Amino acid sequence: MRCAGAAPLLGSLPGELDPTEGALLGAHLATCEACRARLSDIEALSGLVQDGLRTEAARRDLSTFADGVMARIPASAWRGAPAGPLERLRAFLRRHRVLAAASAVAPALAALALYLYIGRTGGTGPSELSVEVTSEDLAAIVLDTIDGPVILVGESSEGT
Amino acid sequence: MALPDLELVERARGGDPEAFRELVVRHQRRVYAVALGIVKDRDLAWDVSQEAFVRVHQHLAEFREESSFTTWLHRITARVAIDLLRKERPGRRSDVADVPEAVLQEAAPGVLATALGTNPQETVLRHELSARLTEALGELPDLHRAILVLREMDGLSYEELSLRLGIPKGTVMSRLFHARKKMQALLAGYAGIDAPGRGAAP
Repeated sequence: MRCAGAAPLLGSLPGELDPTEGALLGAHLATCEACRARLSDIEALSGLVQDGLRTEAARRDLSTFADGVMARIPASAWRGAPAGPLERLRAFLRRHRVLAAASAVAPALAALALYLYIGRTGGTGPSELSVEVTSEDLAAIVLDTIDGPVILVGESSEGT
Repeated sequence: MALPDLELVERARGGDPEAFRELVVRHQRRVYAVALGIVKDRDLAWDVSQEAFVRVHQHLAEFREESSFTTWLHRITARVAIDLLRKERPGRRSDVADVPEAVLQEAAPGVLATALGTNPQETVLRHELSARLTEALGELPDLHRAILVLREMDGLSYEELSLRLGIPKGTVMSRLFHARKKMQALLAGYAGIDAPGRGAAP
């Protein structure tokens, strides 16, 4: 292999040349001082390109860059957007599932506690509707039936 | 503790804007450096970098995790930058013949490496040449510059460069050789070591 053929192969990445080319280049480099010097130049230049561009990029103020990118992405691409009051509440409840679960059963628990309290103190209320407890959109109604207390849990209707 | 890229990608796919913003902030400077190397204009590099991230977001669902996020992001950046070059400067020549033979002969083999010394991180000359690197890159024909930057910054193989640029592998090798040669000559010239025997390194 001569210098004219070897020069374009200098600086190849490992495994990039076919084995024959690689062997020929290796043999040429072993005997050619000029091509070894060219290879040194390629390595020096490689470092300079990386350093130079990184240095240049480091000088640029990129503090508003991310804001610019985010502004170009439609808001609809993001989960939960656009968020109205109801959606914000739902998002809050999704993030706080334990709290949401507690709020769901709270009316029933409150009604049960009240019923037990009334029963223990010997109070005699109306034979049908003893008490109604509501929270958010849920309501629990305790019915005092002849078969014993029955707790009904369901969505509250407006105006009741 | 910072989340890995793939975790942020997964969250961004799920619609988490903060995860995507974190990816942008994490990679913006290197993306900008690659874009600047290819398009050489600071404002264009800014636009290219932003467009690259927007496209990344648009195609997040298609990202296959066999490759690293960085590799994927840089591929998109390169594509945007090269498309811009072709669109903005269709008439510009980018052939190997753009490199005059006389320029190629200006620097003797090894003179740049010798000038930079064996501990290049600490030499003043290296610092000076780094500062003028973009100026030298600006002297290259567009596709020569793109090939050199993608090779040196992203480590793209001849095959990848060939696919990316739509030119034969042999042409990639030839253009890379000429781009390097011209850069060496230019940088050696900046440093006053352009002629053999002028006493390069102190």
